[in-house]
Amino acid sequence: MKAIMKYWNKPSRCAYLFLAPSVVLLLLFNVIPLAAAFGLSFFDVPITMNTARFVGLENFTAAFLDERFINSLKVTAVFTLMEVPLQVFGALVVASFLTKNTFRNKLFRAIYFLPVICSATAVGIMWKMILHSNIGFITAVLRSMGLGKINFLNTPGLTIFVVSFISLWRSFGISAIIYVTAIQQVSASLYEAAEMDGAGKVKQFFHITAPSIRPTFWYILMTRFAGALQIFDIIYITTNGGPNYTTESTVTYIYSRAFSSASSMGYASAMSVILFVVIMAVTVFMYRRMNRED
Amino acid sequence: MKITIFNREICVCALLDTNSFMRKKQRRNEEKMKKKTVSMLLTTAILMTSLAGCGGGAQDTAGTPAAETETAQDAGGDTEEPETEAAAQTDSAGPVKISFWNSFTGADGDMLTDLVNRYNEENTDGITVEMDISSDFDSQLSTAFAAGTGPTMILSSSSYRFTYGDYIQDISDVFDKTDLDEADFILSYLDYCSEGDKLYFVPFQIVGYYMYWNKDLFQAAGLDPESPPATWDEWAAYAQKITDESKNVYGSGISYDYAYQIAHIMQRFGGLAVTGENGNWKANFAGNSGYIDFLNMYREMVDNGYNPLEADTDSMASAGQIGMTVGGPWVTAGLDTAGINYGIGLIPTGNAGDMNSVEVLGFSVTTAASDAEKEAAYKFIEWWNTENAQGSSPALEWSVANGFPAYTYSVQEKDEYKASAKLSAMSAANPDAPTDFIVDSSFPGINAVIADVIPEMINAVAFGESSVEEALEKAQTAAEKITANY
Repeated sequence: MKAIMKYWNKPSRCAYLFLAPSVVLLLLFNVIPLAAAFGLSFFDVPITMNTARFVGLENFTAAFLDERFINSLKVTAVFTLMEVPLQVFGALVVASFLTKNTFRNKLFRAIYFLPVICSATAVGIMWKMILHSNIGFITAVLRSMGLGKINFLNTPGLTIFVVSFISLWRSFGISAIIYVTAIQQVSASLYEAAEMDGAGKVKQFFHITAPSIRPTFWYILMTRFAGALQIFDIIYITTNGGPNYTTESTVTYIYSRAFSSASSMGYASAMSVILFVVIMAVTVFMYRRMNRED
Repeated sequence: MKITIFNREICVCALLDTNSFMRKKQRRNEEKMKKKTVSMLLTTAILMTSLAGCGGGAQDTAGTPAAETETAQDAGGDTEEPETEAAAQTDSAGPVKISFWNSFTGADGDMLTDLVNRYNEENTDGITVEMDISSDFDSQLSTAFAAGTGPTMILSSSSYRFTYGDYIQDISDVFDKTDLDEADFILSYLDYCSEGDKLYFVPFQIVGYYMYWNKDLFQAAGLDPESPPATWDEWAAYAQKITDESKNVYGSGISYDYAYQIAHIMQRFGGLAVTGENGNWKANFAGNSGYIDFLNMYREMVDNGYNPLEADTDSMASAGQIGMTVGGPWVTAGLDTAGINYGIGLIPTGNAGDMNSVEVLGFSVTTAASDAEKEAAYKFIEWWNTENAQGSSPALEWSVANGFPAYTYSVQEKDEYKASAKLSAMSAANPDAPTDFIVDSSFPGINAVIADVIPEMINAVAFGESSVEEALEKAQTAAEKITANY
């Protein structure tokens, strides 16, 4: 025991001990499932995984011929292109107004952050009820204002915007808070100097704030992109992919293939691998771009 | 400078320069180390024990799943050992714990919990039922089975035998090993739970779909509130009369998002979507005149504003905005809470004739259960269906409280059951009418038909993506892909 203690007592060695829990968790819940999903994608496997038939690339070929999968990729792309820019730039604008630590700003930060700590299920059910085409509060208000009956959650072409808004509303707070923290780290002397040179607030924002928080901007952009490409919970609760699959995201479709009673784990894994490749490509591209800018 | 605590102690000792202190210190450290070693070993042992416990009792008591044991015995190998093990398990008197998984997360789940607790307190066989209710039951079950474990008993749709068939035991001896009377069970429901002469489920709940109509809206439209539509032509005509756009009221409440509702209705129009027998299944979507009629009727009602283009019509029914709808017994909970004055009846008959389409939920024993656990599960199922001194049984209580029709004749004969207007209406179906739901009851691909084919078909029609005929052609192709697998 003494020898063991002596061996691990060196900082260069005990560092591995401290790292071990994280590495084990990462292996158990990330690396191994990822490798397993990759392996499963080459097999025809039922939900119980008691049998497996090697099918080679058949699952991948089937995925690219599957109209619903292609549709889900399009839906995910549309959702991402709507949600991410709005979130990344909108949160930046809002954060720039909430930088000072006044009571009012703190209150607003708390309000914006509130949906982040709410469960997606609760948020989804709430919006589903208040946007209901007949018994929803917002629908009734709009109707009473003479705007007619708007079927927010059952109109192909409109519902994807609604879902994007709900998702934006829910996760907007976290981006705003990260921006606020980043802006607060910008040296006050820079603003003072700019003011002395006669620069207004807008100029200060574009010439001091924006360049100073660029790493934060890239961080939010990358994480939001990856998050949006994996959108599941809000869609699953509010529309479950409807109407007519116009909000069925890739992960929602993968989930239905994997865990419904008519499941096919191999096929679902193949689609997951495709999505993984897409997300990785986007992330690597952004990461390189960020490094180049730095 | 980085100094560890251990090194610092040595430094302090060196400064004091007292050898005795050093020796004492060393001894104390050694003792501490010994204690630490012992406590670490104990902790590891406890951790490993608890982890083994997490693996499920199946491993402890059964070792290998029953199915595997049976296979080994069938193979004619060395059968001595498994038999001895099984006998030891069966003979071992003493408390038996069985795990019981299901997905009853609603208010009925609370009642189920109370009943299971009651059983745990009342039974004198030393059986403890440990129930786990999960909203993610399917994933939980599949993950457990994939990991080689699983619960003793589950409560699920009888169609689970198609998905988890390799993990569900034949329990046809339940009537021999308990006092349950097979003749008391309605045969068509038992058939639902069987494959040939093997029984995989004992019925627990019969889920039929029924028509609900809002009597106040009928009256407001000048219709007799006690005379619901008996045919689909009447349904369409009544829907038109009841609809009042100014009040946001719709006559008909068929949802494009309720695949089960659509399936129950469309089979009344055009019969079963898949018929035949093993290896020779036939999909009946394309050119099915009944299905064409149903889809055209639905489309027209939506276009004319008599039926909302809405996924969630149950909430509208509870808000008093739907004249007529079709749904399971759970619809009554919302209607009762909202104080809606409603009636319940059988779904109108269509061209396909009289039908009593149902889904049967039942108790089943998984292959993770040992013989002793299987017998304990049998005792619980027996208790569920056995009358107490007051003439009541959990099955009767469940049926009356939750509004699900009975699956035994003895419960149907009870006064409490007969006194329930809801249950009487639900039990009014022709007992000789076929009970198959949307496909032949032995077709293993039912879940795929309900989860994929029907939703894609109704969505395409509801949102005008394709004509009725095109939607049915597409459904035919999708259904044929499924039938080809069986």
